[in-house]
Amino acid sequence: MNLSVRYQESFSRGELLLRSIFGLFYIILPHTFILLFLSIWSSILTFISWWIILFTGSYPESFYEFQVKLLRWSTRLNLRVYNLADGYPAFGLDVQDESFTLDIPYPERLSRGTLLLKSFFGIFYVVFPHGIVLYFRLIWTMILGFLAFWSVLFTGSYPQSWHEFNVGTLRWGLRLNLYMSFMSDQYPPFSGK
Amino acid sequence: MEYHEIEQPNDLTKKEKEDAMGAYLMMFASVGAGLPLPIINLIASIVYFIINKGKSRFVKFHSYQSLLSQFPTTVINAVGVFWAVQIFLLDNYEVTDIFKGYVLMAVVLNLVYFIFSIVGAVKARKGLMYYFIFFGKLSYHYAYAKSPTSEVAKVIQNVPPKL
Repeated sequence: MNLSVRYQESFSRGELLLRSIFGLFYIILPHTFILLFLSIWSSILTFISWWIILFTGSYPESFYEFQVKLLRWSTRLNLRVYNLADGYPAFGLDVQDESFTLDIPYPERLSRGTLLLKSFFGIFYVVFPHGIVLYFRLIWTMILGFLAFWSVLFTGSYPQSWHEFNVGTLRWGLRLNLYMSFMSDQYPPFSGK
Repeated sequence: MEYHEIEQPNDLTKKEKEDAMGAYLMMFASVGAGLPLPIINLIASIVYFIINKGKSRFVKFHSYQSLLSQFPTTVINAVGVFWAVQIFLLDNYEVTDIFKGYVLMAVVLNLVYFIFSIVGAVKARKGLMYYFIFFGKLSYHYAYAKSPTSEVAKVIQNVPPKL
C-alpha cells in the first residue's frame, strides 16, 4: 500500500477558516451522508468476500476495486478534515485528486489461514496492540493539528514534519484497515512511514 | 427470436466469473449489513444488478436470475416477519396451525433458495450457465435475446408520406 500526500508550500488561510467554521456543514455532512450508504454496501461486500476468500483464496477483483475507491474517497475527505490539503474534496468513486495518491495493489492470492486467524484472533494480535499505540499517536496528531491550524493561520504554511507525521497516522490507520478488512495479508507495521 | 451465442468458460475472464458469482451471494447482504430484514437482500440484489447489467451478458444473466429469485423469497420472508411481530411482539394474533404451516413452508423454500443459489454461485465461478426453474428462461431471454437492429427499426419508423 502506498499513500503519498503532496506537501503544499503554502496553504490558504481563507479556506482554513472556512473549513474550520463551516466545514461540518458543507464538507463533512454531505460527504458523510453518501459515505454512510457506501459503507453499508462496503460492509456487505466485505462479508461476502470473507466467504469467497475462504472458498476460493482470492478477493473478488470488482469488490476490491470498489473498496479501494471508497478508501480513496474517505482519504480525500480526511485530508480536508485534518487540514492536510486545500480544496473541496470531490464527490464520486472515480474521481482523481491531485493532492494525494493511494495505490493498493490487488493481491492475486490471499491466505485462508490468515483470514481465519485475523477473523478469530485479530482483536488480540492486531486491534489491541495497534489500537493502544494508535490511540496515543492520535492524541499527538490532534495536538499537532491544532498547532498547525495556528501556524497556517499566521504564516500560511504547515510545518513539514508535522504534515508528514499526521499523514503517517492516516497511512497507519489505512494499513490497519486493509489488514482487518481482509484486503491484505501483510501485517501492518508499527509505523506511519 | 434470435439469441446471442452463449460464452464458454474459456471465453470469460476471472473477473466476469467472480462478478456473476457475487450476484447469488447477495442473499447474505442483510447479515453483512447487520440489519436482519428480508428487504435488505432484495435492495442489495437490485443495486448489484444495476451496477453489473452493463457488463458482459454472462454477468447480466446471473445478476438478473439472482434478482428474480430474490423477489418471492423476500415476499415470503417479509410476510413471515410481519406475522411473527404481530404474534410475539404486539400480541394481536395467536400462534395457529396456519402460522406453523407458513413458517414450515418458508423454511423449506428458503432452504431450496439457498441450495439453488449456492449451486448457481459455484457454477458461475466456473464460468457455467445454471438455469433456475422458471427464472432461468426469463433471465436467458433478457440477457441473450437479440434486440432489433437499428436498420430494421429505421425501416419501421420511417414511412413514405400518404399521397
